[in-house]
Amino acid sequence: MGVRLLVLVVLSVALMVVDARFALLKPVRSQMSLVLMQTYWITDLPQRLYQGVASQFGSRTELAAENEKLKTENLLLQGRMQKLAALTEQNVRLRELLNSSALVNEKVEVAELIGMDPNPFTHRIIINKGERDGVVLGQPVLDARGLMGQVVELMPYTSRVLLLTDTTHSIPVQVNRNGLRAIASGTGNPERLELRHVADTADIKEGDLLVSSGLGQRFPAGYPVATVKEVIHDSGQPFAIVRAVPTAALNRSRYLLLVFSDNRTPEERANDAAQAQEAEDKQNGTLPVTPAIVPKPAFVGPPAPANLPAATAPVATPAKPATHSARPAKPAASTTPAAKPPAGAASTTRQREE
Amino acid sequence: MASTHSRNGWVVWLTFAVGLLLSVSPLPQFMEILRPLWLALLLAFWSLHLPHRVGMVTAMFLGLAEDVLYGTLLGQNALILTLITFLVLSLQQRLRMFPMWQQCLVILVIFGLAQLVQLWLSALTGNRQPTLALVLPALVSALLWPWISFGLRGLRRRYKIN
Repeated sequence: MGVRLLVLVVLSVALMVVDARFALLKPVRSQMSLVLMQTYWITDLPQRLYQGVASQFGSRTELAAENEKLKTENLLLQGRMQKLAALTEQNVRLRELLNSSALVNEKVEVAELIGMDPNPFTHRIIINKGERDGVVLGQPVLDARGLMGQVVELMPYTSRVLLLTDTTHSIPVQVNRNGLRAIASGTGNPERLELRHVADTADIKEGDLLVSSGLGQRFPAGYPVATVKEVIHDSGQPFAIVRAVPTAALNRSRYLLLVFSDNRTPEERANDAAQAQEAEDKQNGTLPVTPAIVPKPAFVGPPAPANLPAATAPVATPAKPATHSARPAKPAASTTPAAKPPAGAASTTRQREE
Repeated sequence: MASTHSRNGWVVWLTFAVGLLLSVSPLPQFMEILRPLWLALLLAFWSLHLPHRVGMVTAMFLGLAEDVLYGTLLGQNALILTLITFLVLSLQQRLRMFPMWQQCLVILVIFGLAQLVQLWLSALTGNRQPTLALVLPALVSALLWPWISFGLRGLRRRYKIN
């Protein structure tokens, strides 16, 4: 028995070393996870079942109220988007004037949370999109309110996401008000981040919004990360103690957004957009006049920041015909070719969704 | 193994499958720290009562499964579960004679040791857990042992597993 123990212990230690140092065992792990990750799905079933039942038996008044609320919200968001379109347009033009690099476009895809990591000392979650869905290692994850974390482990149909508040996680941020840079580290408390090494005299105060600065080359710039909750100046400490609360609902969000940075050239995007448009029109059985209109709808989808809502829209299928019919209404304004890419981004996401 | 020697082995595997489910089932935040070591409990029981069927190799494979589920290094939980099974097996003859409260104590000590090894291993791999609260699951598991033991014994009698 002792010999068997020795053999097994040596074997598992060897496995650990190999797993830590080399990529040799990654395929084994991903094959095993194919079967084993179903357990998360099964343990999530009661929740799904409850949601299904709740939506079946939701009363009419409740649904009507929810519908009303969503409509108002939609109106507000669309109002905000109109302005965004103009602003991003302006931003692109100003950047061109300054000869600075153009904004990188991003598209997003919706993923659903299927499990939490059982270890209470780490903040990790399991989502239902994996390698086969095009997720990559280190990919940023958002919820509706802000950044949540990044993908740290890929499995074929699921992946593991490390949240911002994990003790091993840090993210480069920027104070939105004045551009002050800092690093926000997780504390192991789902409601708190701490800014490391902020000078005592730095201009940072309670209520400041911290956005991602994009300096780590991992997170895209400009997404909200946290709001500063308190700044403590302790004369005995070399640095100020700055505590912040993540804007994302890290332990409550069920639907998350995966960010894909879109590094195609504008021409490629335009072509993709045209193709997507054609495909859609074929599907809808409309007359093939599309090539002529392709550039027109382009301006509807505003560049980078705005395509967040634009890309989420296709998920709700009823929204599709709406955006489609909305397009011909405003063709007159479409003059700038600079506006092409976003539409491409939006319609390619739609293509992916279908 | 030939079916003349062993009967209804699938029940044992079914309990392990349920154990895997329980070990990832969502719990409220404050209870996560108390999550019992379900797989270790099941392994302890079956290796105590069916030592010819459930042993260290089974423990190792279950541990690997747990590693994939938890996203830890492949082999970490395998090592822990193998150790637990080894300790239970080496105490097997005595442990079966003990009254229940004494069994609980032994389980507490074994699981506590295993959790300390766990703490040490995760510190080695960089995921340092801040407190000794990590030993709490061992305590909860020891308190659950009588119920698990009675339940599984009933199951064993019902299906005449051997």
